[in-house]
Formats: sequence, structure tokens, C-alpha cells
Amino acid sequence: MADGEPRQSMPAQDGARLHRITLRETGESYACAGDRSLLKAMVALGRRGIPSGCHGGGCGVCKIRVLEGSVRCEAMSRSHVSVEEQATGYALACRAYPLSDVVLEVVGGMRKGLTRRYGLL
Amino acid sequence: MGVMRIGHINLRVLDMQAALRHYRDVLGMVPTDEDHKGNVYLKCWDEWDKYSVMLSPADRAGMNHVAYKVERDSDLDDIKARIRDYGREVEELAPGELPYCGRALRFKMPSGHLMYLYADKEFVGTSVGTLNPDPWPDDIRGAGAHWLDHVLLLCELNPEAGVNKVVENETFFRDVLGFRLTEQLMAGPDKSVKALAFMTVSIKPHDIAFVGGPCNGLHHCSFFLEDWGDVLRAADVMGKNRVKMDVTPQRHGITRGKTIYFFDPSGNRNETFAGLGYAAYPDMPVITWTDDQIGSAIFYHTGEIHEAFTAVYTEGY
Repeated sequence: MADGEPRQSMPAQDGARLHRITLRETGESYACAGDRSLLKAMVALGRRGIPSGCHGGGCGVCKIRVLEGSVRCEAMSRSHVSVEEQATGYALACRAYPLSDVVLEVVGGMRKGLTRRYGLL
Repeated sequence: MGVMRIGHINLRVLDMQAALRHYRDVLGMVPTDEDHKGNVYLKCWDEWDKYSVMLSPADRAGMNHVAYKVERDSDLDDIKARIRDYGREVEELAPGELPYCGRALRFKMPSGHLMYLYADKEFVGTSVGTLNPDPWPDDIRGAGAHWLDHVLLLCELNPEAGVNKVVENETFFRDVLGFRLTEQLMAGPDKSVKALAFMTVSIKPHDIAFVGGPCNGLHHCSFFLEDWGDVLRAADVMGKNRVKMDVTPQRHGITRGKTIYFFDPSGNRNETFAGLGYAAYPDMPVITWTDDQIGSAIFYHTGEIHEAFTAVYTEGY
């Protein structure tokens, strides 16, 4: 079942097929079903590596680049991933669903402004 | 006289059907209209004007504008003059240019966020009406939010470069729009940098708030619930609907609000909160927090800041 959809019991379908997701930098790897975003599957398993933000394609902290394999992407804020970037494998992990095993690198991160020392953002 | 309350927020969304499911089924808002551009208008059951949320289809998330309602039409003339005297630009729009509203003022806050003021908006009425009303209607969905309560805007703060848009906004809202400071957070080595300003134009703890950050942004828009039980139930609704939650039910130090932070399907952060904390009468002394206690100021129970809360936001322009 996709993120943002109400919970319901349903028989396993093709979307539930598991793919292996590997983070190039750390070697971290985890299983992700085809109907779960790369980010949701990671945080649901308690794994780390891709920064976790809004899970809605709006904030951009979970930006990745797919190095091997392929993903299906839902709408992502063009402020963070341009059409050109998407064509070369960039995506937001919260909007990317695996179509095969995937090897990726983490591009995004939590933005720490100059003002971090002022306590807040 | 002058600005009364928040009127609406215009949010950009990446997927209108997903956004509609969220604001209607999770927050419990009532869709009231859709225009030829695909904008969708919604109100909460306890609100009487036609909309407090306007959703606009877009390819990037964030806020287009926020609008506040003034008490009388003549307030618009007074405020327009005050904005000009203050040395800032302001446009007057004909009735209808701001959807379903009378004439309006449009201007930018010092932080760059776009703001409108209007005196009239199409009236719809609350879901319980005004004649011997029930306390709540039977067709409440989801969290059953009562009203859009406030927005928290990210404002550029870079003291080394002499930039503090939190203070610039606070000054503008105080001197031109008649808002009052209720709470502030002072930061830096000698606690001289104002990094947070909460302001009211009513007796609520805040009708708008400004927080320092690396750039202009939308931190969240917030919806009111009646009590702690409603907050827990709202979190249950979010769990049922697999809504991405940022902060599960908690208490704020600032405002004393009992809160949940979560995201709409486009990544715009929402809050539902209960408890108006205190009555911020005009003679209430300003509350000050210091950045060594920032964890408690924001999340009173844990006293800890978590990274996503402060580093994750959408655009505010």
C-alpha cells in the first residue's frame, strides 16, 4: 500500500515484490517493496543513511542519485529536482519506488544555515 | 479596528487529489469550491467564511501567500497609508481579484513573504449554524479541525551579515499592522539575537510567528483542536492514513500548546494543536526564552530539538 493511503489488509500483489536497496557510500542495504518509497522502507526498518524529512517531495533533504537499477517517481518539487536532473538519475527518495534492485548515492542533507549557532534553524 | 485574525493560506501542492484527501479526510476540512484554474477551496466546520485554505496545483511545494482579515473596509485605507508611510510598497486589488473576497491589499513582508489583507469574504456559515446550535456537527471527518489558527514563517537570519528578518517582520507587524509580541527567543553569546518572535492581534498566544533560518520559507500552518483528547485522536487518524508525522503528541513550552506536527502529501508541514495556553491581553508581559533552553521552549517534555523539525521546510514565496 502506498504512503498516504489508508491502511487496509490486502493480498500481496506484484507491488509487494521486494528489491534490494544499497547505499553506495556506507554499504548499508535493506529490502524495499515496489509499492513503498525508498525512504519509507529505510526508516520503517530503522536503517539510516538517507536524510528523512517531509516524505512528500517538498523539502528536498532526501535527494539521491540512482547509480544502478531503476525507480518510478511520483511528483517531486521542481525546486529540488529539475526535469534535467531527473533524467540523469536524481530523485527524492520519498517519491521514488523501486522497479528493480537499486544502488544509490545520497546527495541531499539537512540544511544547516549560518544561524545554527543561534539555536534554531 | 485593524487586523482581526488570519483569513487563509494559499498552499502549492504537487498532487491535488492527494492534497484533497489530506485536508478533507485527515484534517476534516470541508471543500467549498474549485475554480477554472484548478484551485481548491476548503474551510473548517467551525469557520464561517468560504475558505481558510486555498490549494493551488503546482510543480513545487510551499506557500504562495497568507491573508489576514481586517475588521472594517476603512481599515484597508488606513493600513495602506501606514504601509506607504513606512516606506514599503503596497498594491490595492479590486474586489474578486483575491478569490471570493472584496477589495484587498497586497504587499510583501520585510522577509519577502507575500501577504494580503481584506475586509470581506463570501460568507458560508459554520456547520452548526447560529440558531440554538449543537456543539459539533454529525458529519465531522478525520481530526475535525476547528479553524486555521496561525502560520509560522521562516525568515532569513544571518547576524554576521547584519540580516535579521525576524526583527524586521516583528517591527513591521507591530508598527504598521498593530500586532503585539507575546513570546520571543533570544540567542547568541550575549542573548542579543532575536531568533523567534510570536505575535498576536487578538488574545490568542499567537496569530503569526517568525523564526530565523537560512532563507525565507514556510515552517507550518496550524489548525485548532479543542482538547488533548482531540490531539490524540488526530494522531490516530494520521496513523490510519499513513500521514508522515514529524512530532507525535507533545507540549510546547512556547504558547503551552498541545501539538502534533505532520506533513501534507506535498511536504508542507501542518500542525494541529489544542489549548490556547493563556489569554494574551494587551498588558501581558512578554515571555522570553533563551537559546540554551531552546529544547524545552519547543518540545517541553523531552527538552530536545530534533534535526528534521528545524531543518525541514518548504518554500515561503
